[in-house]
Amino acid sequence: MTIEHQSTESGSILHRLNPSLKLAGLIIITTGILIYPSWRFSGLLLLLTILGFKASNVPLDVSKRRIRFLMAFSALLFAFQVLMTANGTILFFIIPKYDFMGPFLPVTDFGIEKGFDMSLRFLLVVFSSMLFVSVTDPTLLAHSLTRLGISYRYSFALVIALRFLPLFDMENKTVKMAQRSRGISISVRGMSRILRTIRYTFFPLLVSALSRVDALSLSMDGRGFGHSKSRTYLRKSSWTALDSAVLVLLSALLLASILLTLGFLPQISAII
Amino acid sequence: MLEVHDVSFSYDNEKMILDSVNLQIRRGEITVITGPTGSGKSTLALILAGFIPRVIKGTFTGSLLIDGENVEKDSISEIARKVALVQQDPESQICTLLVSDEVAFGPENYSVAFSEIQNRVEVSLKAVESSHLANRPTYALSGGEKQRVTIASMLAGKPDFLLLDEPSASLDPKGIQQLRKILLGFKNSGYGILCIEHRLATILPIADRVLQLSESKISKWNGKTSSTRSTPVEHIRRPDSAEPLLIAKGVSYSYGTIRAVRDVTLSVYPGEIVALMGDNGSGKSTLVSLLAGLLHSTDGTTYIDDVPSIELTAQDVAAKVAVVFQNPNHQIFERTVQREQHLVFDVLDSLDEVPSERSEDVLLAAGLADLKERNPFSLSHGQKRRLNVSSVTVHEPLVYLFDEPFIGQDEIGQNFITQTIRKQGESGGAAILVTHDSTVATSLCNRLIFMERGSVLLDGSPKIVLDRLREIGYGEYADLGVLS
Repeated sequence: MTIEHQSTESGSILHRLNPSLKLAGLIIITTGILIYPSWRFSGLLLLLTILGFKASNVPLDVSKRRIRFLMAFSALLFAFQVLMTANGTILFFIIPKYDFMGPFLPVTDFGIEKGFDMSLRFLLVVFSSMLFVSVTDPTLLAHSLTRLGISYRYSFALVIALRFLPLFDMENKTVKMAQRSRGISISVRGMSRILRTIRYTFFPLLVSALSRVDALSLSMDGRGFGHSKSRTYLRKSSWTALDSAVLVLLSALLLASILLTLGFLPQISAII
Repeated sequence: MLEVHDVSFSYDNEKMILDSVNLQIRRGEITVITGPTGSGKSTLALILAGFIPRVIKGTFTGSLLIDGENVEKDSISEIARKVALVQQDPESQICTLLVSDEVAFGPENYSVAFSEIQNRVEVSLKAVESSHLANRPTYALSGGEKQRVTIASMLAGKPDFLLLDEPSASLDPKGIQQLRKILLGFKNSGYGILCIEHRLATILPIADRVLQLSESKISKWNGKTSSTRSTPVEHIRRPDSAEPLLIAKGVSYSYGTIRAVRDVTLSVYPGEIVALMGDNGSGKSTLVSLLAGLLHSTDGTTYIDDVPSIELTAQDVAAKVAVVFQNPNHQIFERTVQREQHLVFDVLDSLDEVPSERSEDVLLAAGLADLKERNPFSLSHGQKRRLNVSSVTVHEPLVYLFDEPFIGQDEIGQNFITQTIRKQGESGGAAILVTHDSTVATSLCNRLIFMERGSVLLDGSPKIVLDRLREIGYGEYADLGVLS
C-alpha cells in the first residue's frame, strides 16, 4: 500500500502552524493567482511552495509516476495555450511557409506568456494542495475549524476523506489487477469501449466504497457521533505568535493580489 | 442482561430474516452464534446494537431490553453507551488517522473530560494488548492490529455488552489466539460478549454457549460443524516428465521501501494443490499476484505455462489463470449473474464455442442457477464469493490462485469451493490457496508452502511442514484447524 497523502510527522515550522491558518493560506494563494493571473506571480508562489516541501522534509517524489503525470499535463496545458492563442507578436510558425503552402500555427509572445501562466497556475494549485495535506494533521484541522465556529459534523468530513484516500488508492490498484485477471483491457477506442471501461472500473470501486460508507456510518453512530452539539478533544490545535505573524504575511499577500488586480501597484505590476 | 423479545425483521417486507427470535446475553458470559450465510446473524447483531430499526429500515417487530428496560425510545447514541458492535471489516470502521485518536473518538463524542479520555485510551489499548500502537497511524496497521484497535475503540465507550461480528475473519492463527485471550479477559471483567462466527473452532474453546441461527429461527447448536475434510491427502508423486505450470525464479517485489516478497523460487506442477500459509503481512497475497502475472516483479521472473508473465496480455492471463481476490466486490464487473459468468468468454472472444450446459452446470453447482438475472452486487457475501469462483473457473484455466477463498463461507460455499479445487487437481491442473487453516492444508492440499517475511520458509507435504512448524515455534498453525 502506498501512503502518500497523509500528514508526514515532523517538527518543521509548516507542520507546527495552526491547521486553519494553513487552510487559509491555501485559499489565499489560490484566490491570489485566480484574480491576478500572471505567470511571474504564479512562478514565484510555486517556487515558495517547492521551498515549503524542502523546509518541511516532505519528499516531492513520493509518487514519481504521479508527479510525472502532473508535469506532463502541465506541459500539455502550455502547448494547448500556445497553439490556441493567436494574439500578440508572432515569434515563429510551427509549420513554416513551404512553397505556396503555409505558414501555419503561429507562436506568439502572448501565447507563450499565457501558456506559462496556465501551466504554472495548475502546478501551484496541485502542489500547494499536496503540501497542505502533507503538513496538516486532519484531526487538529477538525478541531481548529470547530474553534472557528464550524460544526464538527462538517469538519470531520475532511478527516474521513483523508483517512480513506490511501484505502481507495489501494482498492483502485486491486480492481485494476482484477480486471487484468479477467482479461479486461482498458480501452478508449470507441464510445462503447470507453463506457465499458468506465463501468468495469467504477462499479466495483463504487460498490466497495458504498459498503465502506455503511460500515463507517454505523461505526461512528455506534460511538456517539452527533450525540450533542459540541464534543471534547484528546488533541487540540493551538495558536502561537508565529501563527499571528504568518497571518499578517498572508493578509499582505491577499491585499497585494487585490491591489495588483485593481492596478494600484503599477511599479510592482511591471515586474510581476 | 441484553435481550431481544419476539423479534422479527424483514428488509423488504417479503423475505423474513428473523422470525420471533428470543435471545439473552448475560454479563460475564461469551455467547457464540453460528449459522449459514444469509441466515440473519449480522442482522440480529444490528438489532441488539439498536441500529435496527433506528438507522437501518425494514419491517421490525419485537423489543430490545437492556437490564429489563425496554429501550424502544432511546436514541442510538444512548444505546451505544451500553452496547458496542464491532463489525466484520475493521478497515471500514476506523475513521481517524491515529490510533489514540481512534480510541478517543467515542469518549470525545460524549464530551468526556480530557483527563478521563486519556485514561480510557490507555486502559482500552492495554486491554487489547496494544499500548505500543497508541501513536501509530491507523493506515499502517496490520489486519490483526486493526481488529484490536477497533475493539479498543469500542471499549473506550465503557459499554456493558460487546458484540463482535466475525472477529477472527481477518486474523492469522497468532491473532486468533490473542483474540481468545483478550475475550476471556473481557469475560472475566464482567462484559457480556456475543460473537458471530462461521469459523466456529476459532472461538469454540472459550464459548460458554453456542447457538445456531437457521431459517430465521435461533436454536441451540447441534454440535455439528461444517466439514470439508476427508482423510489427509497424499503428497503426490510427480512424473519426471511433467512440466511446471507456474514458475518463480528469484522473484522479489517491493511496495516503496517495504520488501513484500524476497527472492522466491518455486515451481507448481500439474495435479498440485498448494496451501500457501504464513502470518498476516508475510507476502502471500503479493506472491499470488506475482505468480498470476498481475504484478511485475522488481527482481526475478515468473512464468505461466512456460511463458514469461511479463509477455502475457490480459487475455492470455485470463485464459490460463483463475484468480480469486479477498474482497468479492473487487472482481464483479457485470450487471447480471449470467453476464458475469459469461464475461470471460466474451473477453476471450469464444462465446460461441462454449457449450451452454457447462456454464449452467457451474452456476448450478455454485447454487446460483436461480439467480441468473440478479445484479451480482445485490448477492450476499457468500454468494458473491461463489460467483467469483464460478466465473473465473468456468472456462477451465490451467491454474487456480485463490486468496482466502473460505472466509465468510458457510457449508454450501465451502463445499462448492472445495469441490472446484479438487476437480482441478484431478484434471491435471494446479491450484494455490492462501489460507490460515491447517485443516484445508491437510484435507484438500498435497503441498504446503509456508512464508515468513516475504521468503519461503518451508515447502513440502502438508503433514511434514505442519510438524516442522510445531517444532520451530509456529505451533498455532498446526493446531488451529478452523474449519474443524
